[in-house]
Amino acid sequence: MSNDKILLKAEHIDKRFGITHAVNDVSITINAGETRALIGENGSGKSTFCQMLCGIYSIGGGTFTLDGQEMHVKNQVEANKLGVSIIVQEMGTLSGLTVAENIFLGHEDPFMHYGIKDTHAMIKEGQRLLDEYGFNNIRAGAMIDSYNFEDRKLVEIVKATYMKPKILIVDETTTALSQNGRLELYKIMDAVRADGRSVIFISHDLREILEHCDTISILRDGEYIDTVNSKDVNEDDLKRLMVGREIGSAYYRTDYGKPISDEVVLSVKNVSVYGQIEDVNFDLHRGEILGFGGLSECGMHEIGKAIFGASWGRKGTVTLADGTNIDDIPSAIKHSIAYASKDRDNESIILNESIRNNVVLPSLDDLAEKHILKSGKLNKFAQEYADKMQTKMQSIHQFISDLSGGNKQKVVLARWLGKGSDILVLDSPTRGIDVKVKQAIYALMSELTAQGKSIIMISEEIPELLGMSDRIFIMKDGKINGTFNRSETLSEEDLIAKMV
Amino acid sequence: MAHRDKEPSKLSLFLNSDLFKGLLPFIGLVVILVVMYYLTNGRIFQPKRLRLLLSQVYYPMIVATGVFFIMTLGSIDFTEGSTLGVASIVISMLSFYNIPLAIIGGILTGAAIGAINGFFHVKFKLQSFIVTICTMYLFRGVCAYMTTETAIPASAAIKALDSDALKISITVAVLLVAFFLFKFTRIGNDVKAVGSGETAAVFSGVKTDKVKFLTFVVAGALTGLAAFVNVIKVGSITATAGNQLETQILISLVLGGLPITGGAKVRFSNIIVGTSMYTVLNNGLVMLGFESATQQLIKGIVFLIFVALTIDRKALKVIK
Repeated sequence: MSNDKILLKAEHIDKRFGITHAVNDVSITINAGETRALIGENGSGKSTFCQMLCGIYSIGGGTFTLDGQEMHVKNQVEANKLGVSIIVQEMGTLSGLTVAENIFLGHEDPFMHYGIKDTHAMIKEGQRLLDEYGFNNIRAGAMIDSYNFEDRKLVEIVKATYMKPKILIVDETTTALSQNGRLELYKIMDAVRADGRSVIFISHDLREILEHCDTISILRDGEYIDTVNSKDVNEDDLKRLMVGREIGSAYYRTDYGKPISDEVVLSVKNVSVYGQIEDVNFDLHRGEILGFGGLSECGMHEIGKAIFGASWGRKGTVTLADGTNIDDIPSAIKHSIAYASKDRDNESIILNESIRNNVVLPSLDDLAEKHILKSGKLNKFAQEYADKMQTKMQSIHQFISDLSGGNKQKVVLARWLGKGSDILVLDSPTRGIDVKVKQAIYALMSELTAQGKSIIMISEEIPELLGMSDRIFIMKDGKINGTFNRSETLSEEDLIAKMV
Repeated sequence: MAHRDKEPSKLSLFLNSDLFKGLLPFIGLVVILVVMYYLTNGRIFQPKRLRLLLSQVYYPMIVATGVFFIMTLGSIDFTEGSTLGVASIVISMLSFYNIPLAIIGGILTGAAIGAINGFFHVKFKLQSFIVTICTMYLFRGVCAYMTTETAIPASAAIKALDSDALKISITVAVLLVAFFLFKFTRIGNDVKAVGSGETAAVFSGVKTDKVKFLTFVVAGALTGLAAFVNVIKVGSITATAGNQLETQILISLVLGGLPITGGAKVRFSNIIVGTSMYTVLNNGLVMLGFESATQQLIKGIVFLIFVALTIDRKALKVIK
């Protein structure tokens, strides 16, 4: 569908953050009516590139030319007005405002009369747009806070697209959406393309990219590598281009028929959390990977919290093999349970702290000698486990907020490796993480289970569940709705059938 | 994230480094010392003056040590002044019976007030800001009520204890113990973890409620101990005892470079540098013969300028 008219020309775009060269002399052209994917590992510069394009970051060097006109935008609102809008990776709506106020943020002028806002007109127009997009369940006059993460993403989609931008940037939005939400987004992307405008699409899901994009540009360590046509490549080609070397076939596990040990390490009995999960029962065996899957609201994420003692008002029991009951987080940690949350930045790590302090925090009691903590010993401990996870960092004293998603997750795993936990509850362990780190995490999981440790893996990625789990439990409406054993013949459809 | 585009120069890298930001309060202290030295023609460093300076630094420094831990949590406390007042009254009254009993009574009074603050903060999930403003009024009221008739005198025996040696030893002991706890035990780590990210701290096994409650109790107890130092110095307690102490401590710690959000970037030196800076400025202005109204005005301007220059804007967010 793309024609030969050049819509966006990026020439020698450059950006540094301190000593990090985030985007290094990148030049790309995008035609009108084209959906272009930007791919690369975490920290390859794709988000930074787009955020310069839409005015979130100032441009470090080079020029963007949109429709023949050089862009000089100072902020996102100006970029919007020129026809560039973005749907961001994380929460992009503002709490405390109504849905309509969020949609028209920065573009309130049409509703202003002599400095007074016509709230009614704004809500009416907002609702008209929502209805037009088919999001009738969202009320324009309601507070944005009354909607969940996914609905808020839909509002963001409306906000970013109602003005018919020339360039729509979709920055890793799909990880936050369920299947339905994704389909809505794809429809909108296709409409933009059909209209002779363009989409820049960022995602780690290569299959999604191959399905929905015309062309794919690859970035690696801030540098431009190549642009290819989706028709000409497959997932493995893309992985190779992103990483710069062949990714081995050992991406997922390849073994089948490994017997599951009879030794039960953890029993979950009659566990309920009001409004989340209902009467869940299962045993976790030594050395197995137990996968939990389902749709986003099925309650599987709460299972992880319930086992870790982090649920509010949990009923039922979580018991270790030796009869110890786990009812709160300190006792879970003390009895060798580790938990990596889906909400990595809030629950797994302390963002405004150093890598060192994040790694040592759960192990402080073990590291203390007669209650005294020695800096040298803490440093050595943190260094050892951060290195074991091959964390990309300047030093262990660097703040964790500077790291990319994949490296943050490595720090999370480093702290639990250091703690020596025997039961690991990993919620969405590879969410928003690139192939190379993914591969490392899968390898680590296999290594840990070989040592006799047990893993509960909660995942929204069906291939990951199929590829890594010894057993898979599919949840629906807070209950376990189907159980599967690892098998070569098990298909995605089998699992999906139990989810919906 | 800051907008840094060009290859950053060495100088700008240095000016933005944590090292430099950590040094700023020290530079501020030196600047104030030098300015005061010139304005007073060196009089501020006369031995007699120095003694006076020192005598004013003891009890704020002890109080600031407790508040330092509270602010590291990312919380705040406005009750220091009223706690000091009430504890001073208790100490004065008990001093007629038995001195050690008076000291213990003062510390317990402070700890009890801290426990009330901590209880409401933790159990009812109220922001410390709100809780301590309410309790500040409450205990200011208690203080005023107790001293309505006359000022409350302390016994001659307790006043006889007034010596620099004793006050220095108490202050140094408090600082040393606090430094040790902050730097070399789990307590310091836990307090910082709560300040940097409470949710993640909970998920890392930190007993955040317990940590917060105990911090308020200990800070209250330290204010109680400071009240003892106050009583042996002033001898009789009026309704204004400890008036405005909370703002003095707050501004001292901020001047000392303590990020108001607490967390990972606090440094123990914030206490010492901050209270010293405040005291030197305060004394210098008195020596220069300004009226108290003018003093307030100048202090306000100096604080504004200092805070604008030194505060870490990256770390600004809401106080718990």
